[in-house]
Amino acid sequence: MAVHKISIKQLVSRIRQVFPKAPENYILNLVNDALVEIGLYNTKPVQAKMSTVANQMWYSISDSAKDSSNNSLEANKVFRVDLMDDDGDYIQIPRLIDKNILLMDASSESALETPDDR
Amino acid sequence: MASSIKYPEDNARWFIEGDKFCLITNVDSDGDTRSVSRKQWKAISEAVTDGLLLHYYAEPNNVISINDELDLDNTMHLAVVDYVKKCLYMDKAGNATDANLIATSMQLSNAHQLKFDDAVKRFGMRKRDKTGGSRTLKSVSLM
Repeated sequence: MAVHKISIKQLVSRIRQVFPKAPENYILNLVNDALVEIGLYNTKPVQAKMSTVANQMWYSISDSAKDSSNNSLEANKVFRVDLMDDDGDYIQIPRLIDKNILLMDASSESALETPDDR
Repeated sequence: MASSIKYPEDNARWFIEGDKFCLITNVDSDGDTRSVSRKQWKAISEAVTDGLLLHYYAEPNNVISINDELDLDNTMHLAVVDYVKKCLYMDKAGNATDANLIATSMQLSNAHQLKFDDAVKRFGMRKRDKTGGSRTLKSVSLM
């Protein structure tokens, strides 16, 4: 059973029915803009493993962050986190709603944003 | 290597600030609860390879060439067409000098914007949700 998909070639040809002179590169740029917009709405659930670092509180989940296999995370919204227990099983851990924790660990300062010189 | 934390659900917490993920625990590297109650919750005490499993919504892969495939479920492909047309009609309105052409282009741009918003935002969850069948409520046993 084949699923009907629209390839980029088909997409460009559909666009060119109405805009015959639209440059291919410009259409691809607009497709990428659309993907960024659609990516904000829970379209691609992903699971990634990260290694913990002793005495490090903060871990980057920015666009350039990598998982433990060195693949880009490209995370938009984290909805669940599991931590490995002493049997090697992943157990869900709760999200803290109140972020006003008493102790902010200084040993993990390297992972924090510091003011730049500009 | 497994961690020394026996009950992560009780001994670990997480939260997010901007694009930084914060992990805190209240146990030391032996898995024992820290004794100073004021300073119980702080960074994890040990390095655990693959210790964290994150579940998240990721960004779809971008397209580089005309031979690429859209990294989306096929239910969302038409929304991409609408987005591109919306932008191109808006460009057309911006470049035109004829008032009628500008008005028509803006109307068509708005129509595609509406279709995109309906597909992605308004009915997006319904389109992407792969759960089917009727819903049932499990009643409480009174026995």
